Amino acid sequence: MKLYTYGIIDCSDQITESIYGLEGSGVFNISFCDIGAVVSEFTRPAQNMTKSDILAHEDVIERLMEHFTVLPVRFHTVFDGRDGVFFLMQSYYKDFRDNLDRLRDKVEFGIKVIWPSDKIKEHIINTYKKSSKKVFVPSDSSNKRFMRDKFEKYNLEKEFQKKANKYINVMDMFFSKFATEKKLKKLKTEDLLLDAVYLVEKDKQGYFKKAFEHIKNPHTGLKSLFSGPWPPYNFVILPKKSDLLKDSNQEDLFGKVIQQRDLAGADKI
Amino acid sequence: MTLNSVVETDFPEEFVEEMEKSQDVLPKKIDANPENVEKGLAKLVLTLIELIRKLLEKQAMRRVEAGSLSEEEVERVGETLMKLENKMKELKQIFGLKDEELNLNLGPLGDLM
Repeated sequence: MKLYTYGIIDCSDQITESIYGLEGSGVFNISFCDIGAVVSEFTRPAQNMTKSDILAHEDVIERLMEHFTVLPVRFHTVFDGRDGVFFLMQSYYKDFRDNLDRLRDKVEFGIKVIWPSDKIKEHIINTYKKSSKKVFVPSDSSNKRFMRDKFEKYNLEKEFQKKANKYINVMDMFFSKFATEKKLKKLKTEDLLLDAVYLVEKDKQGYFKKAFEHIKNPHTGLKSLFSGPWPPYNFVILPKKSDLLKDSNQEDLFGKVIQQRDLAGADKI
Repeated sequence: MTLNSVVETDFPEEFVEEMEKSQDVLPKKIDANPENVEKGLAKLVLTLIELIRKLLEKQAMRRVEAGSLSEEEVERVGETLMKLENKMKELKQIFGLKDEELNLNLGPLGDLM
């Protein structure tokens, strides 16, 4: 019997509430010492996963979060049977325990910001043209002209990166105050200035949301996306993949839900 | 189904587009078979050459910036970098590779370039 896995929780008791996951199957807890892996039976071929499955996965984790600390397992983690799940729990018990303690009463928020990179570049070019010293002269050879063009591009790129850092630092100042951990990715694309996740204590959620209102000002030319509270997908720290995951169809257990999750969410608006 | 989490933005389409763009364009595993093995190897080798070329170029720019290159050195470095760039263009064309394909996904460290 295949078992679809949703998360690791800090409880070894059976789940009393009726929670239904993928394929409408009821979820149950496979316990190990004082923790448990929440799973449901699964019959479909693993490759036939849909957007509604992502939402069902997320829904189960959020229901669990109402009662427990949850280490959300990566979407689409399927084990061949109880033995695989049990072996995983046994092998990673200490890591799971440490993560559960660290992430207790905390949730994750996502912040994404798009900036007008074209306008920023245009501005940088105009400023550069006005202020740049002439390092090479027009009568230069083709080799020198090549170097001049490269040097100009190098300076523009440097300025572009500097501007991005400046914007990100200002925004991060608002959010960091209320977060215990963060992961920031700068310029994943030219326009996607910031793709960040913050770990926030549950009782500071309100402050964090208010901080987002500050950067929403339309006059800044920035476009922002706020999402959460989510289970702390990005903050589970585990040792690198080992042989014990061969039983599951996953390369790693946690992470990488975010893109699918935000895409599914954004599409619903 | 009710999710408690919210996704809040006034620009959903633009974010979907950017997120799709930012998702891995590179395969996680090398699909090696007799038909594409040559191109696969060329891609790997050219990626490494491109990385070294970019590092050389950056180092040269830093030296220009610091003013530590003489006129003759600028001339020579310029010629070398230009030839290297042209040769890369040629090789990419031969193996049918695009600029964005010359990269490696280093997992949690992100992309090589």
